Amino acid sequence: MIPFTQYVRGLAGDDDLVRLDGPFEVPVDVLAAEALRASGPALRFQRSAGSDLVSGVFSGPDQTQQREARPWSRLSLGLGLDPEATLVELLETISTLGPVGENPEPTYTGQAASGTDIDAQDLQFPQGETDTWPAVTLGVASVSTADGTHWAPVHGSVVGGDTLRVRVPDPLSSLVGEGTTMAIALGVPPAAITTAYLLAVTEQTATPIQSCGVAGTIPLVPTNGGLVPSATEVVMETTVVDRQPDFRSDRREGWEYVVESGPLSLSVERVRTTENPVIPISPVGRPLADGTRLTGLATAAALYHRLNNYWGISPVEWIMLPAEAELGICFVASDVLYGGFEWQLANILFSFSSLFDTVVIVDEDVPPEDFGRVLADIWLKSHPARDWTFSEPDAPAATRPHYRRDNATGSRLYVNAAWDPRWKETYIAPRVTFENSFPNDVRDVARVLWDELATAPGETTANESSD
Amino acid sequence: MSVNSLREYLDLLDTTGWLRTFDQPVSWDLEASAATMLANIRDGPIPVFESIAGLETESKLVGDPYRGPQTRPWNHFARALGLPAGLSGRAYYDRVIDRLNAPQAPRTVASNEAPCKETVQTGNGVDLLSFPWPYIHEGDGGRYSNHHTIVAPDPDTEWGTWSSHRMMIHDSSRASLLLLAGEQVPNRYYYDYEPRGEPMPVAVVIGSEPTVECTADMWIPTGRSEAAFAGGLKNAPVDLVQCETNDLYVPATAELVLEGHVRPDDRLDEGPFGDYFGYMNGPRRSMPVFEVDAITHRNEPRIPFCVEGSGVGYGQNSTSTLRLVAAGPDATVGLRAAGFDVAMAVPWRFTSRTVWVIATDRPYPGYLHELANFIFTTWGMLHIDFFVFVDAAVDPLDPRAVLTAIALEADPDADFHQFGVERMPKVPLNIYQTPDEKGSADVGTSKAKTAKAYIDATTDGDAAEMAATPETRKRAQERLVEAGLTAARFDRPDEREEQSQ
Repeated sequence: MIPFTQYVRGLAGDDDLVRLDGPFEVPVDVLAAEALRASGPALRFQRSAGSDLVSGVFSGPDQTQQREARPWSRLSLGLGLDPEATLVELLETISTLGPVGENPEPTYTGQAASGTDIDAQDLQFPQGETDTWPAVTLGVASVSTADGTHWAPVHGSVVGGDTLRVRVPDPLSSLVGEGTTMAIALGVPPAAITTAYLLAVTEQTATPIQSCGVAGTIPLVPTNGGLVPSATEVVMETTVVDRQPDFRSDRREGWEYVVESGPLSLSVERVRTTENPVIPISPVGRPLADGTRLTGLATAAALYHRLNNYWGISPVEWIMLPAEAELGICFVASDVLYGGFEWQLANILFSFSSLFDTVVIVDEDVPPEDFGRVLADIWLKSHPARDWTFSEPDAPAATRPHYRRDNATGSRLYVNAAWDPRWKETYIAPRVTFENSFPNDVRDVARVLWDELATAPGETTANESSD
Repeated sequence: MSVNSLREYLDLLDTTGWLRTFDQPVSWDLEASAATMLANIRDGPIPVFESIAGLETESKLVGDPYRGPQTRPWNHFARALGLPAGLSGRAYYDRVIDRLNAPQAPRTVASNEAPCKETVQTGNGVDLLSFPWPYIHEGDGGRYSNHHTIVAPDPDTEWGTWSSHRMMIHDSSRASLLLLAGEQVPNRYYYDYEPRGEPMPVAVVIGSEPTVECTADMWIPTGRSEAAFAGGLKNAPVDLVQCETNDLYVPATAELVLEGHVRPDDRLDEGPFGDYFGYMNGPRRSMPVFEVDAITHRNEPRIPFCVEGSGVGYGQNSTSTLRLVAAGPDATVGLRAAGFDVAMAVPWRFTSRTVWVIATDRPYPGYLHELANFIFTTWGMLHIDFFVFVDAAVDPLDPRAVLTAIALEADPDADFHQFGVERMPKVPLNIYQTPDEKGSADVGTSKAKTAKAYIDATTDGDAAEMAATPETRKRAQERLVEAGLTAARFDRPDEREEQSQ
């Protein structure tokens, strides 16, 4: 288990986090959004008043540009994997955090955060240019029932020193009534927030965390709500005072497109913080926002797990719901086992998720880190008439896209950008690649030419200047 | 001021650190192209191979000279045009569009003023094999010239018509040209010269100046001259000189010119070749024969070549870059001239000859259908399969923004439109047709027809994604650059705003 502050230090140690010192004349969420657009590092906003904020810690580089780092590298680090971990290694790790057959034995330790006399406003959550109130993002709501503790992502606003208005997934909302205590944990270990997202997108929020793999990996501590990770930066102990306040933010976090959510008005009873708390933020509604990336990875993990346990074999190499497509397209690389398998594959994905109306299938040998190849093969390998397949126009609209918000039905689409398994081997065009197009000895000559140069003084082979 | 020749352009690259010269002998047999492909993948400098192993020649090979940086592919070409460094993509397009709107007629020069005539070979002195034509990919049908401009007669213009068709070298005086019916020069051959039994005079111009090089992929209206648009782009007349053995005019500062003719009723094998789809494609076909009558060249000619197939996906090469930096602005001009209210037309970066993105308003119902129909029956007929229409406010140079528009705005039920299902012609270079479907029709298009499609990823009025004001974004970007983030990664919304105003 990696505590949040250790994770942030790790990013800084990898030169993947840049510190900005306040004051900030530009809204923090705009700075965060611009850094993400530019595939920049995570940011730490050092402030003299209020807690420090960090952005971009759960997102990563834009995959439509070639980058050395993967968009999932940071989360991999946060979950204890090598930053070079493959997408599938990360998806499998995420799956282990969710419900498991037998209850792991939780570890309980003391709380890192201690009581303060500050209120919610004193933390100085960031307020966007057009926002009425400061926003709370990337939080974990924790409530306790007779079954155990339940976690869910929370997104809301600080409307007063002792009042929050938040949205939580309906399955969590249904567990609480007015007067119920709820802890809002901010700056939790990456494994904890990933679990909250995983449970939300699989609609398993009602499953107590004591029945989840995460309980065996994260030391916990009880609060006046439910259990929270003991290494949590900020814990707001609250009471539900209104289950139906009139509240809906103009912007939604990624998980809010997956699961129905409801508003709650919370009275903040006590704020516990560490000595120098650090709170993660996500520029909600902006491209590549942390919450969008987390939702995409959690959903992909769930789909990957379900698909590869469905047919008795595991034909699917990887699944991706890229933040670059705002979760509105599902990309899947698979062995197309037989003619028609691609139809089964696409339609089972439509059965397991309502986020998207479009599925793109690519060949199993397309690596997920080569998204550029995916963005080429969609158009190159698929016949414009035969491989763009539309369903009957009576499917409900997916939840993420903007169209058909009037509940009208319509078609779904899958694009088959994989080779037809019925084709003869001789029909398959070999790819032009450095490995395919040149014999070993020639490749060696080419490498030596450039490697010799790479060591020349003042030279580089990766130019990024604005010249 | 724009540069006047390939060598001036290479010198310019050298001053920016983007050129790398190899003095040690490198073979034309795969080695030069392998080293070039590595540079294309790694976003490295442009390689110049000074010494060709196993061949006594003063010629030098240049690998993908027009490939631009992956983050800002237009940067090098902007320099070649004398434009300021560091322009945003939209600002670059605006500047180039202004130039294309002001064509300049070419200027003719005498032979003794033309650098491309420094050496002249005619008759028995012609020897194609004395030049280091590269063998580009293992599995190619032969050695190729594929980075050149073909000049052919055009009864409607004084200066002929310019295009590009790959050429496979066969012997000291013959090559096969990939002429696919449906394009202007092939049509001239298949439906005019060959039925009359006449050879078609042709000049293959290798190593032209940059603004000439990019016209081959540009859409030039019938009756207009590529030479004039090259001059407009250059903001100065292009110098032309008459050929030694026919009436054609060729760019005077070119490195090498092959004068000759395409013989009627004669064919030689052509292909397979790893072309722009990024896959090896075949089958080996019979294509028209180009017979060389004369060779003229500069001293120590620089022979550019393109490692086709490496400009797919993340990689860039000369041709993928030239489409983005020249064919895109040109198509924008053409569509506006045809009456369409287009903000920008841009090839999709990951497969630039298959998909284009067009940012446009929709002034009336049915507008996108008319626009798609117009393109698919003109310049988008053979190669381009898909068009994606996005709002005029979406930057089509930003693939993430385009992908988001497709994901959120394109309803599979209403916004995907297939054209002419199984009725449209297609080049046989594609990889989604079987060999049987491609067939071996003499004129070069596939035997089986295919379809085209357009995707309406425009909104119904609401912005596709939320963003702060340009001024706030600009201040944020400045603050981040102060903190150490790379300036080149930002899209400079302030500059875009100023330009669009």
